[in-house]
Amino acid sequence: MLITRAGTLNWPTKTRRNNERSPRALCAIGVLLLFAALMMPPMAGAADEYSFDTSETDKKPYSFGGYAEAKPMLFDLDRDAALYKTRFYDRHVSNPLSEYDFTLQLDAGIEWNIFKAFARINNSLDRTYDGWSDDSKPYELFLAAKPTPSLTASAGKLTAKWGKGYAWNPVAFLDRPKDPDDPALNLEGYYMAGFDYIRSLEGPLKTFSLSPFLLPVDYGLNHDFGESGHLNYAAKAYFLLWDTDIDLMFLTGNSRPDRVGFDFSRNITTNLEIHGESAWIDDLQRMKVDSNGRVSESEIDAWSGLLGLRYLTSIDTTYILEYYHNGSGYSEPEAKDYYSFVDQAYDAYVNTGNAGPIQKAANLTQGGYGRPNPMQDYLYFRVSQKEPFDLLYFTPAITTILNLDDRSFSLSPELLYTGITNLELRLKGTVLIGDNFSEYGEKPNDARLELRVRYYF
Amino acid sequence: MFKFIGVLISLVCAAGAYALDGAQILEKVDRNLAPASYELYRKLINIEPSGAKKEYVLFTVKKGQDMVAGVFLSPASEKGRSTLRLGDNMWLYIPNVGKPVRITSLQSVIGGVFNNADILQLDYSDEYDVVGVEELEKEYVLGLKAKTKTVAYDRLKMWVDREKIVPTRIECKTEADMLIKTLYFKDTQDFGGGFVRPAVIETDSPLYRGYKSVMVFAKLKARELADEVFTLTYMPNIESLR
Repeated sequence: MLITRAGTLNWPTKTRRNNERSPRALCAIGVLLLFAALMMPPMAGAADEYSFDTSETDKKPYSFGGYAEAKPMLFDLDRDAALYKTRFYDRHVSNPLSEYDFTLQLDAGIEWNIFKAFARINNSLDRTYDGWSDDSKPYELFLAAKPTPSLTASAGKLTAKWGKGYAWNPVAFLDRPKDPDDPALNLEGYYMAGFDYIRSLEGPLKTFSLSPFLLPVDYGLNHDFGESGHLNYAAKAYFLLWDTDIDLMFLTGNSRPDRVGFDFSRNITTNLEIHGESAWIDDLQRMKVDSNGRVSESEIDAWSGLLGLRYLTSIDTTYILEYYHNGSGYSEPEAKDYYSFVDQAYDAYVNTGNAGPIQKAANLTQGGYGRPNPMQDYLYFRVSQKEPFDLLYFTPAITTILNLDDRSFSLSPELLYTGITNLELRLKGTVLIGDNFSEYGEKPNDARLELRVRYYF
Repeated sequence: MFKFIGVLISLVCAAGAYALDGAQILEKVDRNLAPASYELYRKLINIEPSGAKKEYVLFTVKKGQDMVAGVFLSPASEKGRSTLRLGDNMWLYIPNVGKPVRITSLQSVIGGVFNNADILQLDYSDEYDVVGVEELEKEYVLGLKAKTKTVAYDRLKMWVDREKIVPTRIECKTEADMLIKTLYFKDTQDFGGGFVRPAVIETDSPLYRGYKSVMVFAKLKARELADEVFTLTYMPNIESLR
């Protein structure tokens, strides 16, 4: 298992070589040294500061880029927490716990006439309490044809990225769930085929576009999307109507329950934007456990919604505020039942050595209780100050995610510096605060500190 | 009585002609700076008090009165970021995030003294009314007032070269007459197609003391573009226009 976000679980599906120092670790150290070397030369020294060599603008038929990232992390573990017990019940780990994540993302594209091919490959190497692990997978891999500016057809591994919310996107029917603790991270796509058709119009409706997709779950494709053996259909219609972005979308096809949704975004004034999302899911299978460990499954129609705003002040302070209702989430009593069961299962393991109940609890954690924000009502609030005290490229921020059901929360201050060309430095801390049997009170750690060093090339 | 009416009529005519001259000068400034629809490359340079610099290369297309789109070509950390403006609406598309988000004219997608309104600029005559014209020996001085509250700067004071009819300096101010920044137009060059205009715009601001931002223009040329290019759905593909 990995700890990849504030106190949430991410069970590995990757290859692992426990307690074995990978030669790739040396590569990772090399990458760190490269960062250090890149930071050494000063930026100044260009004499002709206004020169513009137009050969810089010459277009090549191919492109290559990406980034290399190193992210050391330190966790202050909470040994009494439910999610600590489900993860570490049969082993002793040191506290604080350190982890190291290294990522190399490679982007390559080639264009010919109306055609384009693109690949984004994500390679990761992680050092956790469980040893070294590595993984390599395409996040995007597709062919596209654009015969006219109005029409683009694509097939391959694509990311749809539906929704207007910053931290959550209940209408992202074709995307993997975002991590609200780091919502700007790019995500792995799904294999699908579709097209974008665009029309520009006169009058209050300025733009209309239609983006239908076919998403197969079969033949080894998209096996983690849902039930196998089905071809799924989805579409999004976009309207720029009275200066408001509006999307209507649906997904049907039996791999997942049918769902429909809409979103909107609009600038109320030049410095205030509001946005929202709404999604209805029919016949959603929902599993829960009572405090004695009895698992039951029910079918519900779930409504999820989000309402948010972004406000920019005259001194470049940005406020982002979002309310999220997760219709498929657990209520406070349901979550308490789960935490209570974990406690009983752990006590049984300690007293009798019977690991069955705690393993069952661990499986339930994977099944939904351990996902980011598994409960029903949340508030996200972020304040960032661009370039305070005339410090160019420096952005401090503080973010809180508040569980409105049990009033537990996370608080994450961060410092971001982008003053060195292509280098991004981010120092981020997170503290998790909550009572027993509350979401953030039962995360496996009480606090986390991470440094992210990312170099783009 | 007739004498008085005659004086009044000539005053009204003179005032009308005066106002018309200001608007005509501003429209002439716009057309001398760029065609109504065009493509353009720009280098944006942020210079810190220490002399340290950060450079960005941006490809921009514009159509008609209110459609502008751009994509960053370098540095690597910004490559593929695209911006779109449709009238008062502005969006930013970041490849990693993968979807456009609404931004405001006063924000800056790159940091530094230039903001989004500077980078996605429309014609001055589309956003401002001329409220005063002063004639100096070598320059006109135009007083401009924003047509709507959504324009980034409420007031501009524009110095225009009388011979070339291009700006030499613009002061950008708030409604309360507070100076936000000054743009200096320099290094007039022939871009071909009849466009002889300043190739460099230098900016400083009392809000960023010691800092300076520079915009260098290249490969400006008229270009016809489909309206569909200026849409949210097209934003990930703007670089394909090059």
